[in-house]
Amino acid sequence: MKLLDALELLKQPVSEAAPHQVVFLVCGFTPLHLKTFLAAHLRSCFPKDRIEIRTGLYGDLAGNLERVQPSGNPIVCVVVEWSDLDPRLGIRSLGGWGSKAIPDIVESAHKQGERLIQLIKQLADRVPICVALPTLPLPPISTTRTAQASNDDCRLREIVASIATSLSAHKRVRLLNLQRLDELSPLGLRFDAKAEIASGFPYRIEYASIMGELLAALIQDSPPKKGLITDLDDTLWAGILGEVGVEGISWDMAGNAHMHGVYQQFLASLASSGVLLAAASKNDPALGEQALGRSDLLLSRENLFPQEIHWGPKSDSVRRILETWNVAPGDIVFIDDSPMEVAEVHAAFPQMECIVFPSSDDQAIWDLLKRLRDRFGKSIVSHEDEIRLRSIRAGHILKSSVQNSGPVADDFLSSLEATITFHLGTNVHDHRAFELINKTNQFNLNGRRLSESEWLASLRDPGAFLLSASYQDKYGPLGKIAVVMGKIDGRKLCVHSWVMSCRAFSRRIEHQCLKYLFEKLDVDEIVFDYKPTTSNGPLRDFFTELLGEWTGPTLAVQKATLGAKFPALFHRLVGVENARTE
Amino acid sequence: MPERSDRLLRCFVSVFPTLNEEEIRNSTVAALFELDSFAGVTLVTLIDQEFDVDVDLADLLELGSFEAIEQFLLAKNPSNVARG
Repeated sequence: MKLLDALELLKQPVSEAAPHQVVFLVCGFTPLHLKTFLAAHLRSCFPKDRIEIRTGLYGDLAGNLERVQPSGNPIVCVVVEWSDLDPRLGIRSLGGWGSKAIPDIVESAHKQGERLIQLIKQLADRVPICVALPTLPLPPISTTRTAQASNDDCRLREIVASIATSLSAHKRVRLLNLQRLDELSPLGLRFDAKAEIASGFPYRIEYASIMGELLAALIQDSPPKKGLITDLDDTLWAGILGEVGVEGISWDMAGNAHMHGVYQQFLASLASSGVLLAAASKNDPALGEQALGRSDLLLSRENLFPQEIHWGPKSDSVRRILETWNVAPGDIVFIDDSPMEVAEVHAAFPQMECIVFPSSDDQAIWDLLKRLRDRFGKSIVSHEDEIRLRSIRAGHILKSSVQNSGPVADDFLSSLEATITFHLGTNVHDHRAFELINKTNQFNLNGRRLSESEWLASLRDPGAFLLSASYQDKYGPLGKIAVVMGKIDGRKLCVHSWVMSCRAFSRRIEHQCLKYLFEKLDVDEIVFDYKPTTSNGPLRDFFTELLGEWTGPTLAVQKATLGAKFPALFHRLVGVENARTE
Repeated sequence: MPERSDRLLRCFVSVFPTLNEEEIRNSTVAALFELDSFAGVTLVTLIDQEFDVDVDLADLLELGSFEAIEQFLLAKNPSNVARG
């Protein structure tokens, strides 16, 4: 924030009837622009309040603390700089920096530190206090070069560290995190010697704004979010469970997935501080259960409650989780690696903070963890947190019914700008199609795996066809996600393999595959070599939705079924016909 | 020019919110600074940040008026680029 913006913000009128809040800005320097920026940032934090900032006398931090009147529930904001520990640690006092003076400076700083601790704690027993300990560079008082830390420097920093340790243990003291300050402002860009001499204000103007912002955030102490809903595949762990299996998912260095382990560890930390965690994943429930049961998971499965693992829309999962937790959407963070899922949930819950998990970017995951700590940070883990968690677990039975792909709103699907590119031919070099057939479980016609020789033989058979589908929408490409393989027999199509990646569910791609085959190959009937497996429920559910319950040995779909049973399809289609290649 | 003049006027109005434009343009800097002991320091910082120049209180007092400060800024920073 620029000073002009701050001044103009503060000129905006606030009703006299607005709640009045007094903030004591206690410092030993001229508060000048820090007062302006603090007031402006507090105005942003509390736009409906009338904030009054009171200050004290120059050069008397301890006296200013003693003069604070705790009546009227004020908030106290204490900003300590080196010169408050001993004036000789500033540049306005010419008390001598000779080597013989330094031990006395250190001793004096120690005594003043003890006094400040006592005064702040006394005040903190009555009012909330925010404290910033020295943020400016130490003056060049020691005899060493600037690259070398002297023992005197270290002793002075030890004094400040001791003050910080003591104050941070007090429940009503909120200590400014210097690490956060360092991230926002390099140490060398904070001190303004000219302003210090001219007016007793030691901060550069840009730094004053940053200090004002952080102090306002400390004062605001916004309530933390209550719960986090996380996806599983490529989020809690690396890998698609339905493709690589329970043992194939990873969260370690060996699997090139270490940051997923760090994410798990972070979630476990949140859980230990009373944050509610739940899983929302489009997956086979049994597989999800097995995966969450892995003993090397860094997050206990007990910490994830409820676990919504099925093929239904994520927004439905989130709704049920919110009902179980009995919390508002605005108190929740939703995390998923799929931009589409994030958009779908956000469309259903606009107040919810929905975040795309950057699964392929370690640095971005690191930044995400810091962002999450900001959202869920709390000074104290209360007993009530623990009680609430237990009561939620005890009060609800985990909903074991698993929905299959439920309806997704047409208007949402139509907004995706989705394109499906079909490749139709007999390309034996389509390794992705071969891979999909051999690793897909849920949406799989019969679980049949093909050896390379079977693959080649099938495609060389007269009348053979191979249809593959690639998908992309406005959130990005999913790549090749579906394969249909079979043989043309007059006006009939015989399909012996049909698989679709679980990443592609709920987009009606399977409907489009059928429609494309009927139209492109000009057949009247498609016969499927269906066999039930332990995990191909999603495919069976698709046919049940299309045909009703079927019991006969043959699973066949007539062309006429398309018009009667198909939902609206919104994809743009691109067709590519490739010649038979060897 | 008009943009520079408006921005300088915003700086003055922010520091002396009780004065109107005419009063600001017709007053001497010294008279304005007498209204508020911190006003001069704040105005110096504002001009420094908004116009990317390095001025101090003595400079503004010597310039003496709103118009003179405006001309000074034109000479110092013809491109009229603000900082930050």
